[in-house]
Parts: sequence; C-alpha cells; structure tokens
Amino acid sequence: MTVSVETRRSRVTVYAKSTAPSLTPVKPGKTHEFTALDHSMSRHSVHLVCYYRQAPTVTMTALKESLCDVLSYYPAMTGRLVKNEGDGCGEWMVKCNDAGVRMVDARADTTLDEFLATATDEEERQLAYWEDVGSDPYLWSPYCIQFTDFKDGSMAVGISCTHFHADPTCVAVFSRAWSETHRRALVTCPPFFHPWAFYPRKNPVPSSPHLSEKSTIPPPLHPPAMSSVTFAFSASSVRQCLADLQLSNLSPFDALASLLWLRISSYKSASLGTAQLTLAVDCRRRMSAPLPLGFYGNALHFFGVKADLSSGWSHIASELNCHVSGIKEDDVWSSVEWLHERSKEKAFQMYGPELTCLAWDNVPVYNAEFSPGAIPVHVGCRIGNAQGEGLVVIMAGAPGEGEEARTVIVTLPTDLTAQIYRDEAILKYGPKIMFSPNI
Amino acid sequence: MANEPLPPFSSSVRLKYVKLGYQYLVNHILTFILIPIIVGISIELARVGPDEILSLVRFLNDLDLIYVMSTLFLVIIVGTVYFMSRPRPVYLVDYACFRPKPNFRVPFSTFLEHARLVPQFDERTVRFQVKILERSGLGEETCLPPANHYIPPTCSMAAARSEAELVIFSAIDELLNKTGMRPKNIDILIVNCSLFSPTPSLSAMIVNKYKLRSNILSFNLSGMGCSAGLISLDLARDLLQAHGNSNALVVSTEIITPNYYLGKERAMLLPNCLFRMGAAAVLLSNCRRERSRAKYRLTHVVRTHKGADDAAYRCVFQEQDSEGLTGINLSKDLMAIAGDALKSNITTMGPLVLPASEQLLFLFSLIARKVFKAKWKPYIPDFRLAFEHFCIHAGGRAVIDELQKNLQLSDQHVEASRMALHRFGNTSSSSLWYELNYIESKGRMKKGDRVWMIGFGSGFKCNSAVWKCLKTIKTPVDGPWSTSIHRYPVDIPAVVKVL
Repeated sequence: MTVSVETRRSRVTVYAKSTAPSLTPVKPGKTHEFTALDHSMSRHSVHLVCYYRQAPTVTMTALKESLCDVLSYYPAMTGRLVKNEGDGCGEWMVKCNDAGVRMVDARADTTLDEFLATATDEEERQLAYWEDVGSDPYLWSPYCIQFTDFKDGSMAVGISCTHFHADPTCVAVFSRAWSETHRRALVTCPPFFHPWAFYPRKNPVPSSPHLSEKSTIPPPLHPPAMSSVTFAFSASSVRQCLADLQLSNLSPFDALASLLWLRISSYKSASLGTAQLTLAVDCRRRMSAPLPLGFYGNALHFFGVKADLSSGWSHIASELNCHVSGIKEDDVWSSVEWLHERSKEKAFQMYGPELTCLAWDNVPVYNAEFSPGAIPVHVGCRIGNAQGEGLVVIMAGAPGEGEEARTVIVTLPTDLTAQIYRDEAILKYGPKIMFSPNI
Repeated sequence: MANEPLPPFSSSVRLKYVKLGYQYLVNHILTFILIPIIVGISIELARVGPDEILSLVRFLNDLDLIYVMSTLFLVIIVGTVYFMSRPRPVYLVDYACFRPKPNFRVPFSTFLEHARLVPQFDERTVRFQVKILERSGLGEETCLPPANHYIPPTCSMAAARSEAELVIFSAIDELLNKTGMRPKNIDILIVNCSLFSPTPSLSAMIVNKYKLRSNILSFNLSGMGCSAGLISLDLARDLLQAHGNSNALVVSTEIITPNYYLGKERAMLLPNCLFRMGAAAVLLSNCRRERSRAKYRLTHVVRTHKGADDAAYRCVFQEQDSEGLTGINLSKDLMAIAGDALKSNITTMGPLVLPASEQLLFLFSLIARKVFKAKWKPYIPDFRLAFEHFCIHAGGRAVIDELQKNLQLSDQHVEASRMALHRFGNTSSSSLWYELNYIESKGRMKKGDRVWMIGFGSGFKCNSAVWKCLKTIKTPVDGPWSTSIHRYPVDIPAVVKVL
C-alpha cells in the first residue's frame, strides 16, 4: 500500500529541549530597549537554517559550548520580555536577567544529501523549532536554536527568533559570530547595541503613505494556508536571466524579483495591469551615518513599488532597479518617525498581506564556518506569520555556485505554490527546486 | 568567655592581657619549668671545678662493660619499640577538585524559569523554591549537570553515569597530572557518593578507566551523607596504618542527576535548590619519600554518630512522598541536631587539639558548674587558639551561621565556607576541598598552620579532621578558584531579589 505523499511521516524528530546560559553572568539591572522599528516587526519571526557537512569539531556538544560562549556578547538575547514600567510608557523591553536561550535537540532519519534533495517544505520548517509566546512572556525565550543530527553525521543548525529582537541580517551576523567563537577566531562583527539609532531626528517629518495604507488594511478573516518552495539559481542561470532582459546595469535581484512578481501575478489574475509590490530592504549601510553590520535590532525599510505588469519583464525589472537604488535617506527617516509616532498602538503585519519581497542578497550568509574552510552547504531563511498574498525572499546563493547565484524562497497560498514551481518561465532557467510542498 | 558581668572597656582590655599571659604561662609550662633547672645546673657546673667533672667521667669508665652495654641496648630497644608503635604518618600529597565548565551554569532566572515550565511543579512549589534560592547564599555561577538543563530534567541512569564519569575523571586526571603519580602505584581506592550507587560501583568504574592494579584495595561508600568525605579519610588512614609504603586515592563526590525531586513536598525541595555539581580527588600516602612534597599531614580524625537518637536518625531522611516520588526530607530541627552533634564532636576533639590553657579553663569551669553548682555558662573553648583555618561544610547558609555562632568564629574564619557556597553551591562531601582550595588561593596557608575540617551528614553524623600544613602554599594556585579568586570575597546580601 502506498502512503499518499501529503501524509508522509516527517523524518525530523525533536527529542529534547534545554536552555543554554551565557558563560559570563550578566550584570544585574541591565536592560535593552527596542526601537520603533523593532516594535513594528513584533508580529513576525525569523528562521535561519544552515546545513553543515560532517566535521570532527561540529558536534552538538561542541556547538552548545561555543553557543554559551558567544552569548556572553549578547546579553539582550538571554534576557526576557517585560513591560517598561519605568518612565510610564508601558512598552515592551528586554530585562537582561541572564535566563539563557532555548535549545532543541533533534535528529533526522536520513543523510544530508538525501534531505536536501527530497525534503518537503514542512520538513525544512521542522528544522527551526519555534514556540510562540505563551501566557507568560517572562518565561518565554525569544530565541530558539535547534540542532538536528543527520544519519551521516552532518548537522543542521536552525536559529529562530522573534522579529521584535532581530531582523534576518542580525541573525546571520550572530551565526557568523558564533562560528568565529567556535573556531576561537576573532569576532569580526561584534554586536552593536544602540537603541537610539532610530530615534527621530531633531525636526521629524513623520510620513509614510505606504505604511499608513498598510496599517489600515484589516487583517484577513480566514488567512489562507501558506506553503513555500525554494529555487536555487546558479550563477549561469542568473546570467542567462540578465542576458534575456537585454538591459545593462541590472542586478540579479532586479531580474529575479521582477520575474517572480510577474509570474506570481499572472497566476493570481488572468489580466495584468498596474500592481504594487512591497519591498523590504536592509538599510544599515544606506544611512549617511552607516550602522555597523553588527547593529543588533531591526533595520529594514519597507516601501512600495508600482509598475505596470503588462509592459513586460524588462520594464518591471528597470522599475525595481530604479526604486531600490533610489531609496532616499529622508524616506527612511520619515517612515521611522511615522512608526515612532504610532509605536504605542498595536503592531500590524509588515510582511504582507499584500505581495512582499525581501531583498536580502546583499548580506553575506555563507560565512558562518564552524569548521575552518567548511562553509554551510545550504542556508535557508523563512519569515513567520507572513500570511496573505505571499512573500519572496531573495538571498545570496552558495558561493560554490558562483557570485551571482541566488536562492529564492517563495511563500504563497498553497494552490499558488503548486503552480509556481511548475512554471515554465521560471524553470526555463534551470533552478534547482528544493523543499517544495509535494515531491 | 566572660563568665560574670563585666564592667566597661578598660577592664576588658586588662582582662585580655591577663588571658594572654595565662595562655603563655600554661602552654609553655615545660619551658618555664626547664629554664630554672637549666640555670641551676649551669650555676652548679660553673661552681664545681673541672676536677669534679673529670672524676665523674672516670667513675663512668670504671663501670663494667656489661652494665654499659645493657643500658645502651635497653635504650635502643625502648627507642625502637617507641618508634615502631607510633602510628604511620598520613600525608596528603595533593588534591584536585572538579572545575565545572561555565556552560553548565545555572543562573537563578534559568532555575526558576525551568521550575515554572516543568508541569509537575505548581505555583506554591515554585514560590517556595524562589524563597529558598533568594536566601540560599548561592551565586550565579553554580553548576548543575547537563541532564538538569533539560525541560524536564532527563534523569536516566546513563545520564547519571556520564555525570559521574565527567566529574570524577576530570578530578582524578588533574590530580594524577599534578602529582605525577602513575595509576599502577595506587594501592588503595576509596570512593564516596551518597545518592548514586550503581553496579558495578563507582570505584570499579575508576579501576576500569585508569587500569588500576588487580590487587588494589577498593571501597565504595554510599548512603553516608555529606560527611562521608571525612569517613573515607578515616578509612584511608586506618588502611594506611595496616599497609606500609602505600598510596591511597580518595574520591568524594555527589551525583545530582538522579536526585531531582519533582514533587510538591516542601521539605524535600531544598536539595533541588542547594545541591550542585562537584567532586574532589585526594592522594594520601604514608611513604617517607612523599614527605618532602606533601602539603599536609593528617593529625586527627574524630567521628561522632548521633544515630542512636531517633530525632537525629530521621533528621535527613530519603523517602517517598504521598505521590510516590523519592526525595530527601530535611526536618525542621536540623539546626538544633547539628548543633548537638557538633557539641559531642568538639567534646572529643577538644582534648586532642586544644592547648593546655584552654583545657584547664574548661576543666575549672566544669568543676565549678558540676561540683560547686555555680551558675556559670558552659565555657566554650576558644578553638581559634587550636586552629588557624576552618573549613565548615557548606551545607547551607544556616549551617554556617549556626556554627559561626556556636564556635564564636569571626567572619574571616568562615569566609572560605561562605564563598565556596556562593561560587560552587552545596557540593556535599567535596565542599571541604573547595574551601581548602579557597584558603590556599588567597595565599593564607603557611607552614605549620592547622586546618579543621568539619562535615555534617545524614545519620546524623558530625565528623572532623585536623590537618597540619607542611609547606607554605604559594599563590597563584591552579585550582577551581583560578578564574574567580580575584573577585572574592564578595558581600552576600541576606536576600537576593530574583524576580
């Protein structure tokens, strides 16, 4: 009797949960405050999964020890959420009470290569254990780190955290710092705690038409079930895309984002017209006083791009390029100030419910080498609670595939996902399909 | 020491000098008697001319050879019998304590978070544990074994064995490294671990790991509580009297993994909050050649067992609660029983170690109270005259406070115990060794110093050991305190706010 694919038992089993303290005790009374950007992201979560081949120094015990070591630099990670009763604002902040981060031990009943070739979307989700905040936030660890052992000794490390604390760049920089601590090397991007980074300017101009519009959208009554698929584009595929576009000075992001926007929209409605895409871009380096890469917190700027989808792929790509390269610092500040003004109100959904794209390919993610010279075989990133029309995450691809290689993780309502990963226009460029909902 | 109401300061100062003079007189009475005799003889010799001395010598020469030889042989025989019947000296060559890795650390907030997340504890139980922890005197760097970091704790036998291997083997490895002792040269092995007793025993585990000799004398003491470390020392000492030229390895530890109590009985929750991971390995020897490098010599061991009294017997009792969960029940009159056991112990210990001045005072006070029925408070001998350092089992803050009061010790004397409790928690039988290491790390241990180790344990037992330091220990000392000694002593507040 054949078992239907949808109900196949997952090969990932979680068998233990524990807590990792930092090596050095935190000074009592230390706190970490959130910026307006942090508050705005509180509905989402970040999940980063890195896969490593078997190596003598990459074992669960050794990784747990180096995790405790690196946590000494991140007192905000081991703290717990409390309400700031101090100056009467009643907002959430972190009390650095040295409670530690949650760790989860798991095993996968397969080898790493087989997993990467045949795992479903659901199985990859199970590599980054996550529990939403329960009844008592004080007992809830905002970070959860899962170690999954494969049959051949390979390991997957899944870091999940609430978007309140950190954006994907911050999590990637943390995993890099962790790997450097593991190798006993110098930490190149130590964390930079500076909650005043996004404090409003002296003459604030709070205005963000895009975000104001988003905040008024009521949450959907019956959010659709979402599923994801990952496309791994090699450098040659991306170069082929760019060649097909026949436009110069376009980046891989422009090509891929516009392609996916076009294809997704074509499945949603038969006729294409003007459409809007929300883009999320890391703006650490785009400020005139640039924030270091190690800045701990959120630094994503959300803005909308309108384009006429019927005018062809090249047009859309050039529109995207125009908007992304033309982000003005004033716009970033205005939207931060707008968020600051409404920070006391309930946060709304930032990734979605309209189609959103996270431009994350400018951030290096394959540099977390736990064993010298052994970079991750694959890195995947998901965003939690991005229900709605969908989310496209474009991130750097494996260095072995070339500099222009990109990994694209598309999260859509289930019926759309089933269509998108069979789409001819995308498959023309020969991406490797991983973690699809059905194999 | 005041037995009658004292007038103000000036007379108490005079009293202090009187007391000092009295102590010098009584403790050096032999010297005081000998000096006049020597002076007398010298004066006599000076008065009597050299002729008289020569005539005395000629008299001796005229004696029969047989008498001279007999006298000589008699002296030699008496001398030999005396030296042979003296107990063999027991030297402590060196000792090593387990150094817990900081990633096993249990901060208060983590401990309480786990207590809340574990479904077996209800709100009342958690609040009680908070109260205990706040007043415990423990710090934020005490360590629990890996099994206790899981939610819920994974108390399997395999986990307990791996904790035992971790703590015992690292302590022994360090000891063998420090002393250069080859495992094949260990003749006696004694292990004490009260709450975990697998088959084969922990001593068999050590014999297996280090490939000790097949004719080793190995012993495993279990169930004897927190004072078992001193019981092991006593056993080692007795064995070293029976076997000459031998080395004894004594390992004291307590395995926490199988003993996490997951019930609601409050009296049984204390061990959860106070017991922490630790182990100590001690190398004792009676070989003459070890004397040059030995650190201490064991002078006395006094063991007192109050088990004949029912209340003392049931004082620390391992039993199942109403839900069938096993835990260690600590009764409310633990302090009173401990004080009583201590009194018994020091009554036996006193005559062995106290200087003659204190013993005389005690005798006078005793005669006055018993014979003349004087209404005096019992005289507590000043043990600070007998010892320079005190290692009191860090059973808990209350135990140390009680002993400080009973023995009238200053804060500096109990500093080692308090700081060991703060840094390592209650490591049961090995806590005495952590405290000794603290004193050494602070550079306070000088040649000739005497150390008093007091251990308390279930039974109820109070055991003491007295060591004499054979060489000044130079700082910095490589031991469990290496990374933290510069931060100590710390001021430990009576209540640490956790939430």
